[in-house]
Amino acid sequence: MATPNRTFCRRTRREFLWEAGGGFTALPLLSLLSNDGFFSQTAQATELERSYTNPLAPQKPHHAPRAKSVIFLFMYGGPSHIDTFDYKPNMYGMDGNTVDVKTFGRGGHKNQGRIVEPKWKFKQYGECGKWVSDLFPQVGGCADEIAFLHSMTADSPIHGSAMLMMNSGKVLSGSPALGSWVNYGLGSENENLPGFVVMLDQKGGPISGAKNWSSGYMPASYQGVVMRSSGAPILNLDLPEGTQRSTQRAMLKRLLEKNRAHQATRNDNSDLAARIASYELAYKMQQHAPEAVDLADETDNTKKMYGYDNPQTNDFARKCILARRLVERGVRFIQIYSGGAHNDNNWDAHGDLETNHTYHAGRTDQPIAALLKDLKQRNLLDETLVVWGGEFGRQPTAEYAEGTGRDHNSYGFTMWMAGGGIKGGISLGTTDELGSKAVERPLHVKHLHATILHLLGLDPNHLSYFYGGLDLKLVGVEPVEPIHELFT
Amino acid sequence: MTLQRTILSAITISIAISPPALDAAETTQAVNYSREIQPILAKRCYQCHGPSVAEGGLRLDSRDAAIAELESGSHAIVPGEIASSVILERLRSNDESVRMPPEGEPLDEDQVRVLERWIQQEVPWNTHWAFETSKQAGVTPDLDADWGTNPIDAFMLRQLRRTGLKPAQTADRVTLIRRAYYDLIGLPPSPEEVDAFLADDSDEAFEKVVDHLLDSPQYGEKWARHWLDVVRYAETNGYERDAQKDLIWRYRDYVIRAFNTDKPYDEFIIEQLAGDELPDSNADSIIATGFYRLGLWDDEPVDPRLARYDYLDDILRTTSEAFLGMTIGCARCHDHKIDPISQRDYYSMLAFLMDISPHGKANYNHVPITSPEERVRFAAQESAKAARERELRQQIGEIEDDFRARWRNKFPDVEIASTSALKDSVLTSVNDGQTWKYSFERPPQNWYEIAFNDTSWLQGLGGFGKASTPESHVRTEWNSSDVWLRRDFRLGEIPESVTLEIHHDESAEIYLNGQLVAERKGYLKRYESIDISAACADVLQTGRNTLAVHCHQTAGDQYIDVGLTFDNDLNELERFVRDNGDRVFTPEQLNHWKTLKEQLQQSESQELKFRETYAMAVAESGRHRTYVLHRGIPAAEGDEVQPAFPQTLRPPSAEIPITDDDAPTTGKRLALARWIASPNNPLTARVAVNRIWQHHFGRGLVRTSSDFGFQGTAPSHPELLDWLAQQLVSHGWRLKPMHKLIMLSDSYRMTSAGNTEAFQLDPANNDFWRFNARRLTAEELRDSVLAVTGVLNNEMYGPSIYPPLPAEVLATASRPDAAWGKSTPDQAVRRSIYVHVKRSLRHPMLANFDSPDTDTSCAARITTTVPTQALEMMNGPFMAVQSAKFAARLERETPGDVVAQVRRAMRLTTSREPTQEEIQADVMFLEQLTKQEGLSTHEALRNLCLVMLNANEFVYLD
Repeated sequence: MATPNRTFCRRTRREFLWEAGGGFTALPLLSLLSNDGFFSQTAQATELERSYTNPLAPQKPHHAPRAKSVIFLFMYGGPSHIDTFDYKPNMYGMDGNTVDVKTFGRGGHKNQGRIVEPKWKFKQYGECGKWVSDLFPQVGGCADEIAFLHSMTADSPIHGSAMLMMNSGKVLSGSPALGSWVNYGLGSENENLPGFVVMLDQKGGPISGAKNWSSGYMPASYQGVVMRSSGAPILNLDLPEGTQRSTQRAMLKRLLEKNRAHQATRNDNSDLAARIASYELAYKMQQHAPEAVDLADETDNTKKMYGYDNPQTNDFARKCILARRLVERGVRFIQIYSGGAHNDNNWDAHGDLETNHTYHAGRTDQPIAALLKDLKQRNLLDETLVVWGGEFGRQPTAEYAEGTGRDHNSYGFTMWMAGGGIKGGISLGTTDELGSKAVERPLHVKHLHATILHLLGLDPNHLSYFYGGLDLKLVGVEPVEPIHELFT
Repeated sequence: MTLQRTILSAITISIAISPPALDAAETTQAVNYSREIQPILAKRCYQCHGPSVAEGGLRLDSRDAAIAELESGSHAIVPGEIASSVILERLRSNDESVRMPPEGEPLDEDQVRVLERWIQQEVPWNTHWAFETSKQAGVTPDLDADWGTNPIDAFMLRQLRRTGLKPAQTADRVTLIRRAYYDLIGLPPSPEEVDAFLADDSDEAFEKVVDHLLDSPQYGEKWARHWLDVVRYAETNGYERDAQKDLIWRYRDYVIRAFNTDKPYDEFIIEQLAGDELPDSNADSIIATGFYRLGLWDDEPVDPRLARYDYLDDILRTTSEAFLGMTIGCARCHDHKIDPISQRDYYSMLAFLMDISPHGKANYNHVPITSPEERVRFAAQESAKAARERELRQQIGEIEDDFRARWRNKFPDVEIASTSALKDSVLTSVNDGQTWKYSFERPPQNWYEIAFNDTSWLQGLGGFGKASTPESHVRTEWNSSDVWLRRDFRLGEIPESVTLEIHHDESAEIYLNGQLVAERKGYLKRYESIDISAACADVLQTGRNTLAVHCHQTAGDQYIDVGLTFDNDLNELERFVRDNGDRVFTPEQLNHWKTLKEQLQQSESQELKFRETYAMAVAESGRHRTYVLHRGIPAAEGDEVQPAFPQTLRPPSAEIPITDDDAPTTGKRLALARWIASPNNPLTARVAVNRIWQHHFGRGLVRTSSDFGFQGTAPSHPELLDWLAQQLVSHGWRLKPMHKLIMLSDSYRMTSAGNTEAFQLDPANNDFWRFNARRLTAEELRDSVLAVTGVLNNEMYGPSIYPPLPAEVLATASRPDAAWGKSTPDQAVRRSIYVHVKRSLRHPMLANFDSPDTDTSCAARITTTVPTQALEMMNGPFMAVQSAKFAARLERETPGDVVAQVRRAMRLTTSREPTQEEIQADVMFLEQLTKQEGLSTHEALRNLCLVMLNANEFVYLD
């Protein structure tokens, strides 16, 4: 049977019927059994086994992609834009002044507040002369690669729903994550590794945990896989304690014999062949995934550049190096969390802004800058889209009567993108002079999502999945334009 | 408009079904409007010429409108007259500015030709099959002489013959018993059960197995799981806190019991939707309404008004998909693009649900379900106890009066200590305003902890609220929705009893030292005293204590004031009599007094063990009007609507029995439930039997089992579907007879084996020429592993269990330590239906094998095959433990005999007798592991066990 018709909505009728319990009977031929697997050592794959299509097999994009991979650096908790990349020179000296400004955060709606002036100095960087705060001097040094989006907005200033929005486009739970859409739309280049990888902060997962990388109403095969930066990178990848590889090989051989004998009288059932092939893939994953996360062949210079040798930056450095290695190995979508768990274990600076942001920026500035430089020197930046940001920004005013803590702000905040078809050294959109809300060229999370999909070669308004009687899209019902000004 | 059109056409292209190409000779064949014409009109034309818009005066959603004169004076469609029907030339035009539809690909010629034939045939117009009541049974086809046992087979055979197919052979008996066990109870038969079946050569052997399984309690556990998928059963609310839905497991148990007792399906519907409104409502029927509380709930929504509609929408979607197979939810923002469901229909249906009380934290939705008998019994016990204590107190009082008289008489100068107890208190603001810290803005999550720093809070005198609240003493004005209060106090000693003095309007939560000690709903009209001693046990400390209060207000007056009274029960008279009694009483008199005191004390200390039983269930609050919301936006209220059923089903009007404002509910939901559960509802019985069919045959007769609308697939066997629906109703809506009917058919007993010829004719098995093989479900897989290894704990019902999860999985939660509970090893091996269902942390093995995401209804699971499943089955900790248990079982049951062990392992995992060659190969494999890999005999056997548990033959069902 020929490759199923690629309809506009990507989801073929066949797949729809398959969901409805039809069984998947006829499959496109696509050899995935290369010569380093288990079959090659023990037995030949049958034609039906060879015809197994990994649900994550590579798919053709809608148009020529600008980026092959995305690294999403998720600053969970919400970094303050006016203390990082959104320069507000007029605010210095206004500290403590009461101003009329509409804000909405976890503390509810307010019409007035006490200004907390930006707590860091800003300097100009690069040919573009971008003003960046002293929290991110090294990222500042890469300003010519970066497009800053200063007028981002989101629908919610509450962590739970805002996280879901940034990750899945909806404040309501149940929709697939951006990475799942990419998995669904493009598949994975490397069958030995997951197509959508999530690396969490040492402190714990973000609020709502796995909902942030869930495939929602799509099959589970599209969900994000949590990769750990130490120990077995993927759940159950290591052999059980006491089992030798040679033993497992013998077991897989016996299993294959049993499965082949079983299949002999059921040879039109491709599901059985698929399951046989999935053991082959798992075997290959066990061989390849550890190599992907093994930093032994990284030079000292590289490690040093990322800050791997410094206890403060070691953890995020490791994740950034891993992200680059995964990109080199064809992983499509990698999300790294800076910050986890609750309170000041992430960027959620309600109490002491200075301590909080100094801590989190201090752990990420060098690794992030190194990632951009390293990708560039390896000629990977052109095809790797790097996205930086949190689920929202923070308010210009204080949350409490005392202290520097800022409440959440989804009316206006900054994210940035680099590489993968993005024009560097530009800034798009503005917030008002306090940074309280987006003013010029307001951008919504859906524009960011549309831009990411577009750069990956997917049409955000046509990438849809039929569910519950509707063709659902990441960007929602109304058509959304990618942010064209950002493209090289 | 243009953009709108662009996306619409994108949708339409993806789902257009091309009619089969026709020969010229076939033009006389009757056109089926609902199958061939309506999908084209709905998908390509309605957007501009449908229920909501009629551009150029053309509407294509009713026959009268479609053939009416257009604004231009011409006619789009003239019945029987192709030449005058301008629609055809517009469809065929090569001029893009003239051609319809204006966006997207033009219709293909086959589609235009079927429209042409339709016009030629005078524009026949009928309703969508599923929205019409099924025709009376009619004639069931004759049974064939050599194949078929009941009418199901006759329907099936007729269709197979039309396609030129023959039914497959009957499956072998091992396959049959295995199939029956998994389909009905989700577990494999034991080798002994298989042997008994094989040895039974009576004609009824299979029927006996089916009857036995339908009677087994595991049947309910298996079939409840199917229903729980549809109603998106989960035990947490999702979102940031993903908090527990306390006691919601009672709903799960209700569903299991409903299946096991073969509760008629119409009752099952009515109880879930309106069990509280039934005249004979009881604990079970109230638990059933937990149905309304299963979904997502954001306790901190960004837009509370919209969130309220989201909550109700989720319920309405699930209700309409689960019971009616209709995607009514699609009409929330605009008329349904494809099915004839208007936005007005949506909001009219929503009107049935508008009064459902909001969701809330912890026990907010708890409804008492204690039975009246239990209440009467308890009340009798309680009054007997009170009478006894009254009697004792009176006797003691008489003795003590006597003591006083004697004492005064004998020692007129020595005063008897007063009887008043030493009391301590945190005063309310009734007399003097008490100083509180307060905040009108939502504080951080830990606001009620002792250590919380409230220095930034405001300070003021209680009470807080509006002076118009009855019996209030307002000293600080509070008129927003919420107030948070904190106050410290000191204690010299820990009191024995604590009484809360409170006046609240409305709900209040009271925390002592960070513990929630009282939660009050609704409002009071005066101060009240509530004994909270039990909740305060171990909470108070000497020195500093913190009282923290949150009060939430929705409408009307508001007020909050709180105080505490502590009592140390130091009855000084008692002490005095003890110490000095012998100076005026004889030893007998004194002993009598002591005995009575002891009896009273004992009686008082024996608290009657009555605890109200609760369930998480539905309740209603207030009477709310329902409006059509423009584009689904709460602020954009349009026409008011009354509760009504979707018009396309030509339903009766909804009669709402109660208009009395004081009644707890109006009976709206009961009206909805009764309409859905009516045999006259064209959808309900069909949807129900289709689900039963789906779980026996691997797919429904309608594959899209929650969508019987135009987007759904047409039934592969329409007459069979209708016949089965009628059977269900005539069997009193009981499911067990339906299972039996289906399972005793020859169709069910066919082999799943291949047949090249048939495969070429019908690769998707549309006509059921063979049985569909399937993989075990996630739950079946885990349960089967436990059953095979011999450790499955069959205990039923009760709170959910927490099988251990790997640390890597827990680490994905924002509070890894608090993310998952702990069950005893014995509890951890109960069936999967009892595993806690947490939205943000799914059991990895169940999730890996496609247990559904619980945020939305799941009609049919998608079976995925991915390498992470293989990793889990080969390397995962659960399988490591279970393979060792399996090996130990074999060693125990057939010690020292390797061949017997291999044979037994095969019987346990596959039910069949292995061949000599297979046994030989497995024995050689064991030798290889011991000799070449240097494993112990046990370890080798364990690894063979693991292989067997990984084998396709174990994981797939023929």
